[in-house]
Order: sequence, then structure tokens, then C-alpha cells
Amino acid sequence: MKDKLEIILGIGIAVAVLVTLYFYLANAGDIELNEIFPIGITLILVLSAVYILWDRIKNVNRGLPAQDERLKLINYKACSYGFIACIWSAVGAPLLSGILFDYEIPGNYVTAIVVLFGGLAFIISFLILAWKGE
Amino acid sequence: MMKTRIKELRARYDLTQEDLAKKVGVRRETILFIEKGKYNPSLKLAHDIAEVLKTTIDELFIFE
Repeated sequence: MKDKLEIILGIGIAVAVLVTLYFYLANAGDIELNEIFPIGITLILVLSAVYILWDRIKNVNRGLPAQDERLKLINYKACSYGFIACIWSAVGAPLLSGILFDYEIPGNYVTAIVVLFGGLAFIISFLILAWKGE
Repeated sequence: MMKTRIKELRARYDLTQEDLAKKVGVRRETILFIEKGKYNPSLKLAHDIAEVLKTTIDELFIFE
């Protein structure tokens, strides 16, 4: 029951993100090059989350658990990599922007970079660890 | 390096990876990675697998 509830909640969040993205794109007009990057990362995150949900649904339908001890361990590891990516992107993004482009990034941009890079690091490490087996 | 006799004992009891996974309450991939030596199971999971395969942890896992 808990597994099914988590899956339904996950699907709801994925749909909400996709709908928000659709409305943003529909009303954004001409999309600039610097907007493509965060949209791309968001799409990668949502599609990866949908893949993970599909994998869990497949297991639940077969009578197997959606999550087990190996997956929980992978989750913890991926979370720690995501956390490290958050810290480094929070420090690195304003620093690199200042050094390379002589541009001071506004605070909300830094927040967006931290969220997107943290999420990307989490999802990539989760998928690699799940595929590798450790 | 850890080797296991899970595959051999599964065959003896005519169990697929999925059957064993259902009996011990894990995903099929977990059994696959344990068999390949790519994942070290918890003591509880090792005990459960040994119980299903009617053996002991000592006989199931070989450390080299």
C-alpha cells in the first residue's frame, strides 16, 4: 500500500512539473539560449524520475517490492553525491561566473543552479549505481 | 572477493531469481547482483536466502 501511494505521489509530481513546464514554454515566447539549459536539465530529471517510477510499477505488478535494501543503500549514496554537488555548485557557480564572464549571478539564479545540479548529480549517480549493482 | 552458491542451489530447488526474490522480499536485480558478487547482502538477507535454500550462510557465501 505504501509503495503504491509513493508511486501515485511520484506520478502526480512528475505530471505537475511537466504541465508547469508546458505552460512556461507556451507563454515564454522566444526562448533564449541560456533558458534551454535549465529546461533540458528539468526534462532529464523528470524523464529519469518517470523511468524510476515505471521500474517500481513493474516490480509491484510482479509481486516484488518497489524498494529493497540495495535500492535504499543506492538512494543514500546518490543523496550524498547530490548534496556534494549542491555545495560545490553553490560555491562554484558565482565564483566561475565572476572569473570567466565578469558577471555577478543574482541569488535566485544561484538557487536554481544549486537545485538543478544537485538533482542532476542525484539522478545520474542513482541510475549508474543501480545499473552497476553497488 | 565473495563468491556464492546461490545459483547452484537455486537450480537444485528449481527456483528462478524472481521466485527467490519473492520468497525473501527483495527485487530480482538484488539476487542477480548478489550472485555476481557485485552486492554484499545484509546479514538478515543472507540469513533469509540461506533459509529458503535450506543451507547455512557459511555454505552459501565463500570469501576468497
